[in-house]
Amino acid sequence: MTLKSEQDWKDIVHRCFRCGYCKFTYDYSDFNCPSYKKFRFETYSTGGRLWLIYGLISDEISWSQDVANVLYACSTCGNCSENCRFDKFNDLLVDIIEAARAEAVEKGFCPEKQKALIERTENPEMYNPYGEQNSDNENLKKEYNLPDKAEWVYYIGCTSNYRQKNLRDATLRFLKKANIDFTLIDEHCCCSPVMRTGQINSVKDFISYNIAQINHAGASKVITSCAGCYRTLKKDWLKYGADYAFQIYHTVELLNELLDEGKLKFQSEYNKTVTYHDPCHLGRHMGIYEVPREVYKQIPGIKLVEMKRNRENAWCCGAGGGVKIGYLEWSVEVSKERLEEAKKTGASVISSVCPFCRTNLSDANDKFDMNFEVIDLIEIIDKLDFEITDTRH
Amino acid sequence: MNEKKILKELEDIVGKDFASNRSEDLYIYSQDPGASIPRPANFVVMPNSPKEVQDILRLANREKVPIVPMGGGLTLSGLVIPVKGGIVMDMKRMNKILEINELSRFALVEAGVTSGQLLAYLNENHPRLQPPIPDAPPSVTIAGNALIHGSGYLSQRFGDHGSMINGLEVVLPDGELYKLGSCAVSDYWFTRGPIPDFIGLFISSFGTIGVITKLSIKLFPKPKMRAIVFGLCKDPNILPELISNITFTDIAEDILLGIQDKPDWMKGYTFIIVYITGESEEELNNKTKILKKMYRKGKSRYMKVPKRIEDIFLEKPQFAAKAADFRKGGGFEYVGAYIPLQLIPEIIKIGIDISLKHGIVPTLGARLIGQGHAAMFFISYSFNRADPKDMKNAREALHETNNAVLEIGGIPWKAEVEGQQLILEKMDPNYKKLLKSIKNLLDPNGIMNPGNWEVK
Repeated sequence: MTLKSEQDWKDIVHRCFRCGYCKFTYDYSDFNCPSYKKFRFETYSTGGRLWLIYGLISDEISWSQDVANVLYACSTCGNCSENCRFDKFNDLLVDIIEAARAEAVEKGFCPEKQKALIERTENPEMYNPYGEQNSDNENLKKEYNLPDKAEWVYYIGCTSNYRQKNLRDATLRFLKKANIDFTLIDEHCCCSPVMRTGQINSVKDFISYNIAQINHAGASKVITSCAGCYRTLKKDWLKYGADYAFQIYHTVELLNELLDEGKLKFQSEYNKTVTYHDPCHLGRHMGIYEVPREVYKQIPGIKLVEMKRNRENAWCCGAGGGVKIGYLEWSVEVSKERLEEAKKTGASVISSVCPFCRTNLSDANDKFDMNFEVIDLIEIIDKLDFEITDTRH
Repeated sequence: MNEKKILKELEDIVGKDFASNRSEDLYIYSQDPGASIPRPANFVVMPNSPKEVQDILRLANREKVPIVPMGGGLTLSGLVIPVKGGIVMDMKRMNKILEINELSRFALVEAGVTSGQLLAYLNENHPRLQPPIPDAPPSVTIAGNALIHGSGYLSQRFGDHGSMINGLEVVLPDGELYKLGSCAVSDYWFTRGPIPDFIGLFISSFGTIGVITKLSIKLFPKPKMRAIVFGLCKDPNILPELISNITFTDIAEDILLGIQDKPDWMKGYTFIIVYITGESEEELNNKTKILKKMYRKGKSRYMKVPKRIEDIFLEKPQFAAKAADFRKGGGFEYVGAYIPLQLIPEIIKIGIDISLKHGIVPTLGARLIGQGHAAMFFISYSFNRADPKDMKNAREALHETNNAVLEIGGIPWKAEVEGQQLILEKMDPNYKKLLKSIKNLLDPNGIMNPGNWEVK
């Protein structure tokens, strides 16, 4: 799916007028494109990138490492798609940037740091972008007494499995307490990081492998606690031609369903002021804004407050699109801005439903001594007493 | 030109991150979204203070390197394309709103403040005030728009946005900082006079005299309610008098005209779009009644439109850039002609004829300026950015339109370099002489946006 292999891109990239709506929030009160806000040259706005891509397609400019670096200095947060005013074009902006990255990879211009993602992911000892020994999850299955076959598969995702184990364990404990008939698979990376960075050669193999594992477990439903995995399984796998019959859930959707049906009842309180950070992969990319909020609101004692930029206009955490590995310092600066915004709400807790956001917000919190509690929704619920009734799903 | 040395000096002034001669940056800054032919820039620089602007101008003057100041870069007529290369100075890092004076109603802003930024800031912090903003996207700058004699919201009632400038801080090629307007005498940036008024030198001179670092612009009371009363007119010949009569009533905040051949049902009509304001529904209803009556008497018709259409026109700023997508081609440029009202029928004919001749769907319109003293009449040509022949066709249409506008007595607004030359050809020789003298006096090395307003 590179620029030149996809006729569609060639035919539409020049539609970008570079009007600049893509840089802003909906009310123009701030720049909401992390890349433009950081680098400030027009080159680093989405319009600038699309014009560069058009320049590459039309041979007005040549590929170089510097050009590729501009394409990679973007967290693919989707603010541009949200605010671009050109219908039926705006939806494609992030896809076009990713396609251009794939072309950069093909031409040999993938930046070195991002290359590590594919080297680790394709390594048969790892199959994850973190360079950790692959966990086949057998130990966890034993620890939680999980069957080989079940109605649900909990697709943990690499970030939760290797970096945010508390989030993973909280999810496992919740699913057990909720009597969900679930199991784990020997999962390999969902491929979100390599797709986002254009390193797509082996993506189809990974998808096929994971689908086979899920099918082998006999599952009709897959649940994940990661916004990135959720987007990838539900959207990207299909784009790559995957054919599967199971349904994809984010944990927050299950929680909301159980609460709506009166099957989940909290018996203790969480007496804190919490602000919710919309993960780009769940919000702008998948359109899920209210479901998590509904769940937070039903937790007794919680005071949910909104940051100025929320929902479609949320400020990105800065970790996505390969930015965390490619531009570590900038990535944390982006999260710092989010925490500063959260500070203004009076919240002591910033919470999200994505291990990747959790990691980056925590890194900024530690680095800049922001004194927040950074916690995932499922970890909040893990702290609470609750009663579950009749959860046959 | 010793590019390495100049880049090093620029980096020393603004920091390494904000000076560039990388090919990807130069590619972007060598073109604009209009139909003009790109010209290569040598450097792009983003200053963050008047002091940095001064240092850059001293460097450029010493090295005789052209300087092209840039705001939003969306004039469409290539005014920020470096005709003779040099340094493109993107002002958007200078983006502080320095003061809002509620009582005397002005905003003091740095040159890189965008129209979207000021609009949002006032909405949140000074909801009783509204700024003059153009129909351009929110990424254009307040300074850039005012300095090209821009028009937009509130132009019918209060004049073009250039006339709303109270004061400027400018850096001239000698590197000195000058304050113009009341700020030269007082701490308040509240008026242009009563001292000799040099501000006009910087309006529509397209960066050929100096670089603006700060600007004070008038703000206006924001009415509680706004609505639009649409009218429909078949015969363009009745428009001058009808519009003039509407302005006599003093009820129109803004007046727009729209003429389009597509969709088909719009062909052959002029749409009159009158913005009214009020403190109550009753006031709006009364004004609507007056306008309905005027439309009837003026051989036109009142037109009821769905709320969603009205909302499109009420949005601030309007999404005028949609014209770039009419043909899914990503480009449009227009001749915006300043004309006296009596030329409206003639310019409509010119616009339609030239559009059809070039195979472009006629898309014309106007904004009334200053209670009927003038109209900014635009004739827009959309093109496909990926098709060089189509872009050439648009350039030819623009050139013909500029010629035709000048012939009937109008003046092309923010004209591209070729259009400026047409204006100069028609200009009173002594005006040209004066222009050249002032330019030579203030910019003896000719570093300021050379190629523009070049008196040969």
